[in-house]
Amino acid sequence: MATTGTASTFRPSISASSRLTTHLRSPSSKVPNFTPPPLSRSRSFSVSCTIAKDPTFLMAEAEEKTKAAGSDPTLWKRPDSFGRFGKFGGKYVPETLMHALSELETAFYSLATDDEFQRELAGILKDYVGRESPLYFAERLTEHYRRENGQGPLIYLKREDLNHTGAHKINNAVAQALLAKRLGKKRIIAETGAGQHGVATATVCARFGLECIIYMGAQDMERQALNVFRMRLLGAEVRGVHSGTATLKDATSEAIRDWVTNVETTHYILGSVAGPHPYPMMVRDFHAVIGKETRRQAMEKWGGKPDVLVACVGGGSNAMGLFHEFVDDAEVRMIGVEAAGFGLDSGKHAATLTKGDVGVLHGAMSYLLQDDDGQIIEPHSISAGLDYPGVGPEHSFLKDMGRAEYYSVTDEEALEAFKRVSRLEGIIPALETSHALAHLEKLCPTLPDGARVVLNFSGRGDKDVQTAIKYLEV
Amino acid sequence: MSSTKIQVRGQPLPMVLTRNHRMINSVVCGVQNKRHHYVSNVLRTIDPPLGSVPTRTDDSQFLRGDGNGRFGRFGGKFVPETLISPLKYLEDEFNFVLSDHEFQEELTTALRDYVGRETPLYFAGRLTEHYKNISQTTGGGPEIYLKREDLSHCGSHKINNALAQAMIARRLGCSRVVAATGAGQHGVATAAACAKLSLECTVFMGSTDIEKQSSNVLSMKLLGAQVKSVEGTFKDASSEAIRNWVGNLETTYYLSGTVVGPHPSPLMVREFQSVIGKETRRQANQLWGGKPDVLVACIGSGSNALGLFHEFVGDEDVRLVGVEAAGLGLDSGKHSATLAVGDVGVYHGSMSYLLQDDQGQILEPHSVGVGLEYPGVGPEISFLKETGRAEFYTATDQEAIQACMLLSRLEGIIPALEASHALAFLDKLVPTLRDGTKVVVNCSGRGDKDLDILIQRGMPSSLR
Repeated sequence: MATTGTASTFRPSISASSRLTTHLRSPSSKVPNFTPPPLSRSRSFSVSCTIAKDPTFLMAEAEEKTKAAGSDPTLWKRPDSFGRFGKFGGKYVPETLMHALSELETAFYSLATDDEFQRELAGILKDYVGRESPLYFAERLTEHYRRENGQGPLIYLKREDLNHTGAHKINNAVAQALLAKRLGKKRIIAETGAGQHGVATATVCARFGLECIIYMGAQDMERQALNVFRMRLLGAEVRGVHSGTATLKDATSEAIRDWVTNVETTHYILGSVAGPHPYPMMVRDFHAVIGKETRRQAMEKWGGKPDVLVACVGGGSNAMGLFHEFVDDAEVRMIGVEAAGFGLDSGKHAATLTKGDVGVLHGAMSYLLQDDDGQIIEPHSISAGLDYPGVGPEHSFLKDMGRAEYYSVTDEEALEAFKRVSRLEGIIPALETSHALAHLEKLCPTLPDGARVVLNFSGRGDKDVQTAIKYLEV
Repeated sequence: MSSTKIQVRGQPLPMVLTRNHRMINSVVCGVQNKRHHYVSNVLRTIDPPLGSVPTRTDDSQFLRGDGNGRFGRFGGKFVPETLISPLKYLEDEFNFVLSDHEFQEELTTALRDYVGRETPLYFAGRLTEHYKNISQTTGGGPEIYLKREDLSHCGSHKINNALAQAMIARRLGCSRVVAATGAGQHGVATAAACAKLSLECTVFMGSTDIEKQSSNVLSMKLLGAQVKSVEGTFKDASSEAIRNWVGNLETTYYLSGTVVGPHPSPLMVREFQSVIGKETRRQANQLWGGKPDVLVACIGSGSNALGLFHEFVGDEDVRLVGVEAAGLGLDSGKHSATLAVGDVGVYHGSMSYLLQDDQGQILEPHSVGVGLEYPGVGPEISFLKETGRAEFYTATDQEAIQACMLLSRLEGIIPALEASHALAFLDKLVPTLRDGTKVVVNCSGRGDKDLDILIQRGMPSSLR
């Protein structure tokens, strides 16, 4: 059955398993804004301990429930009250964090009816972040994929690269900073790989006047000196992490350790749809504005819905942000593109959903890249943002349910796409986004004439220009 | 280093027209260094003698310049014979597209979906609070709003103009576009627009600038443009680009990045940038039901400033404030404060203020904001100064860097060093303003391109 990977600081807690047995009802679906499904439950945070069933038995139970829900996405619980997407997700955290996570969840749900919060967030997204981002018809890219008989799909780019700080990351950072203020927390921590999430976090902390500490792997700090400087310019403290391989996963572990120690004063802004519940749900809902705008813009532009959605997948936040709105629309195809690095057989890649196994990492059960002893395999991708050995639990769920399809693209293919789109549309994509763009090469020949493809242009590539130039010999 | 004529600010120059006419001739013909002047010794003006140009203009002139591209006595078409008809051809095409529904629709769509307009008018709450605290007044203090041109595709206001002109180039059947760039922002915007519209693109850039803004150079190359290095800075790159254009008139379009050059350039660029001011009017009305009280913008040649100001030139109750680069100080000789200490002359095809010595030689400008390093200034800007419609001040390198750091820390927005000059002037401006005054600062670009410069300047490690 499922092998459990051993992540550095966590183990499944008994109380979490016991709650599975008392799981009552499912949240109803679909609400506007980023608000989560209204949970009309009586007691969600009972601290009392009941006799635990065998965890593996519970897994099987959960899987059965998922299968029973069948292929109708509207019946799926995404997530259920314990933060599970089928068997994935959950809250594999030390006892000390349970209260903070519960508190966070309660605060998050209360925002559903908080008009002031909604208004404030909408205002900031508009005037500070620069939303809504355009849905841009990529004429030359469409022409590039036009077949000899004149037929081909129509390519649209959702321009998250135009956001303040140049990527989708800020949608979540801004909302979580507002949430933290509401919780009365004055100290923010975050982890970062390449620095994009760190910069987004430092940015919002400056904007809201919050203390900001960013954990970054020492190796990453060397590779991304410019981003480190940027974070400091914005007033954040950047702490180097030297343990393990001194990269993202180690920075994440360190950040979690800090949070455990300082949980009363500190809010942890997780950068992606990974981590313990309620983070995957929260981060997804904060990014869901991408999909909501897309629906409206598609209706305005062509009076319909997109046919195919394409997005790159590292942790999975930009993809969930685009997909979430359309999960219940069965006729909308969803495609996630991971990093195949040097190739899937090279052992140097980050294609978690293609080559990984189920286990627990950073508080959630999901697919992850692990060896036979359950040790995390160091991932590789030319794009730092996709360089994560795990993936958001909801993606694992959508993959297992067959609702979304996942492919992968090598470093080389991504670089080719990077150059191609720069030349054809005059927009330099982030290397992460380039993975999604690269997949169009394989996808478009298979699509019927006039199929409308919306690709999440998750970030701009200014940060990658130095890297790309080395490889591209321009 | 020869001394410059010090001009008393705010005083209109004496209108002894005949003498000025002779002065112009001496400035241009005295220029031995052909690197600055493609004009060489052949000078042709098609304008009526200066004696007949009124200094006080009516509204239409305020707003459009007269038919020969003059703004009062500034502007014009000081170009060799060979360029007169291409310029006329360009002017005709420009006038046509202004009222061509198809062009306007295509441009509006591209500005919305490609560039990301409209850009927000953002209330800078923490910056406003900061000034309130240091002034220690009991009142609310002025309110500071930022027009977020930094959020545009490519990171500055330059794309508004580059895109529109690239569309014109395509209409004219040109296969090739040349441009000159200082900080690289116009180069990148031109390269991007050309990629989108399938035009070949060559960008000329000064060798010193290439070193200082290397990330922009790489971006241009990735976007498919050819980058040609020219010994010197922007002014030298400009001259070279124009030379290249003149040599290839059949196939090539010269895409000017700012409001200088012979007519119709200043007019065209201003028109395409004026979307900034138009949006601001609408947004100000939405936000507080009125107009801005003060508009502040940095001035290199003046494109972002005119883009913001133009809409409001006719509104006498709106103050227009331009901020130039004082570099290492006005007395140091290392600055770009053309309006502060320059004299009137002809440069790159138009009459305007410029930094020149007693022999009419162009002085080398300096600023930490590379985009402000230009020894001239747009003729329309000179006109706004002379008529007293706009006020002009300066900010030093150091003040600009401080302002950049302040905005980063208080609002989480890292402004370009050029825009930082406008922000720096708030220190002096805000204490003089009444409570509730609405100040709109044009945040003309983002500062990602300047991180290397800021690192070099050895910013203190403790920034909080």
